[in-house]
Amino acid sequence: MRLRSRSRTPRPPRPRRASLLLALAAPVLAACAAPAATTADTDRPWSAIAEEARGQTVSLWMWGGDPQGNAYVDDVLAPAAAELGVTLRRVPVADTGDAVNRVLAERQAGRTDGDVDLVWVNGDNFRTGRQADAWLCGWTDALPNLALTDPEDPLLLSDFGVPVDGCEAPWHKAQFTLVYDASRVPDPPTTLEGVLQWAEDNPGRFTYPAPPDFTGSVFVRQVLYSVAGGPGQVPATYDQAAYDELAPQLWQRLRDLAPSLWRGGATYPRDVAALDRLFAQGQVDMTMTYGPATLTELVEQGTFPPSTRVLTLEEGTVGNASFLAIPATTADSAGAMVVADLALSPEQQAAKADPATWGQFTVLDLERLSPPERRRFAELPESAVVPPYAELSRGADPELAADWVGPLDDGWRRDVLAATR
Amino acid sequence: MSVGTAAAHDRGDRFRGILAVGPAVLVVVLVVGTGLVTVVLQSAGLMPLVGQPRLSGAAYAGAADELLDATVLSLVIAGASTLVAAGVGLGAAILLVASPRGRRLLAAIGSAPIPVPHLVGAASVGLLLMDGGLLARWLGIAPDAWPALVAGHWPTAVVVEYAWKESAFVALVVTAALATRIAGYHDTAAVLGADRWARFRHVTLPLATPALVAASAITFVYTLGSYEVAWLLGPVYPEPLPVMAYRVFTSTDLSARPEAMAVAAVTTTLSLASVLVALAWLRRTAVWR
Repeated sequence: MRLRSRSRTPRPPRPRRASLLLALAAPVLAACAAPAATTADTDRPWSAIAEEARGQTVSLWMWGGDPQGNAYVDDVLAPAAAELGVTLRRVPVADTGDAVNRVLAERQAGRTDGDVDLVWVNGDNFRTGRQADAWLCGWTDALPNLALTDPEDPLLLSDFGVPVDGCEAPWHKAQFTLVYDASRVPDPPTTLEGVLQWAEDNPGRFTYPAPPDFTGSVFVRQVLYSVAGGPGQVPATYDQAAYDELAPQLWQRLRDLAPSLWRGGATYPRDVAALDRLFAQGQVDMTMTYGPATLTELVEQGTFPPSTRVLTLEEGTVGNASFLAIPATTADSAGAMVVADLALSPEQQAAKADPATWGQFTVLDLERLSPPERRRFAELPESAVVPPYAELSRGADPELAADWVGPLDDGWRRDVLAATR
Repeated sequence: MSVGTAAAHDRGDRFRGILAVGPAVLVVVLVVGTGLVTVVLQSAGLMPLVGQPRLSGAAYAGAADELLDATVLSLVIAGASTLVAAGVGLGAAILLVASPRGRRLLAAIGSAPIPVPHLVGAASVGLLLMDGGLLARWLGIAPDAWPALVAGHWPTAVVVEYAWKESAFVALVVTAALATRIAGYHDTAAVLGADRWARFRHVTLPLATPALVAASAITFVYTLGSYEVAWLLGPVYPEPLPVMAYRVFTSTDLSARPEAMAVAAVTTTLSLASVLVALAWLRRTAVWR
């Protein structure tokens, strides 16, 4: 998942060329048809998998733009994996899509000892991998710690409308959140339509990242919910008729909004990091994030003003979960499964939920934990900036299916970005 | 030496020449050729990531509406950058050659931008020119009042970065072409009574032109096909061809891949065409013959 919101400075551009060239060259070197899908061999008992994992090296490919996330994996998760005999190596990528492209290229080249063993993935990237049968499936039921999650939890059953089907193990939850500077917005709006109204009353003080930025994209979906009259009015699976009916209203609303945006809507921040910079410089009064837990540290560091507050909406905001997936091209699937299981353990989930470590919301069902384990979560420090997850996720809206994302992002470019210039 | 042995000698030379450049040409053809063939095949729908191969021009048609905007913007960026770089570079080279005193210092200052990576240059230009950037702060201008040089409608910062880096490159190439020969020609022309302006028109310019054209052509093609500066300093819309190609290539919808390849194919065609134009022009310059 591309939780870009958590980067503090504008990200340096990505070393894209390498993956582009690899993806270009690979098909020529191999047959055009991709190999058939792979299902993990999970009939063995867990002890056998854990035994096989000993001595394996697992390369975890994940977005590398978040220092806290990197530090958590290096300093907390990797040492714990080493105790289980698995060497965990973190491979930072500028975009999760790079890891997916790598897997696709390896798959086209017919490799079975790929460089990618585990990917931090979510949403459209997961769907892309499923489209090409690039993930190992049916292995998550083997994980002992999966029993600590709620099997009915809709956030864990489907990822942007794509059924998880045991092709990825849950890692943590995220909540789309609007953020404002209380010293400049003394009387914050309480609904999304209120936010848009506020933006029109205060020209130049609001903007949003241009889709396909992950956060900008979810903002557009949030406005779609608002325009349609709630998530219930938008079919979760993509439906052309619904798109044709709803999208024109959405584009009209955003076109009406555009002249009141930063720089009159002539351009938009390229990504959420650019929006965060505008917010930190006081050029706009609101920003938005998919990882609100990290706001605490941004305020402590002085990047964001001390009066930074979270804006909770009456109608709720979109929430989702991110996952760890194992590519079908890996030779170290046992080691990858051991790491995925370890990442689900109450100790790791509690350590990761601590804002001082990373501050990611747990995917575990606290009811299923033992009292001492539950206490660890209860003792997590509270933040002056960010309310607890229970409050943030109240009335959480479901994500639309990943099939919606592409048409909405394209439509926004065509009917808002290009049309209002 | 008889005529026959001279011809054989000639053939031997040519053979050795081909042998010498052969490996380099082979590598270039293999690497670039493989890439180009893949690009063309994928853009024509013959090498899909998902689904069956089928020849179609759908990728070109699908990208058509944005393709024109992107092409125009790419040509504007490349053209403006090349013009500025050629002008500044030529001026700097003439200054360098004309002033024996301080030449080393001038040369050092002039070539300083060359080893700086474009990425670093772009980041620096961004920090300097953006609203709330260094220049705005030094001048005490509020972000709202500062013109949108970075990510604004006009690709100002993009052109500034390319022009700054490439003018140093042009200056270096033109200086090298002038330095060895200009003094002798100048003296001869002066002895024959040519004044300063006549020497510039009839000696300096003709000597500098081939190098200037070659350097400008390289600058133009490089700027046309490069990605990172426009990505970092340009607006989200419109976007030049390479940025568009990468955005579509990384789209999570795999069926958009052929469109990305179509954009790449158009970029390559444009680059090749501009190289051919530059070569044709070079052949017409006097010194080339």
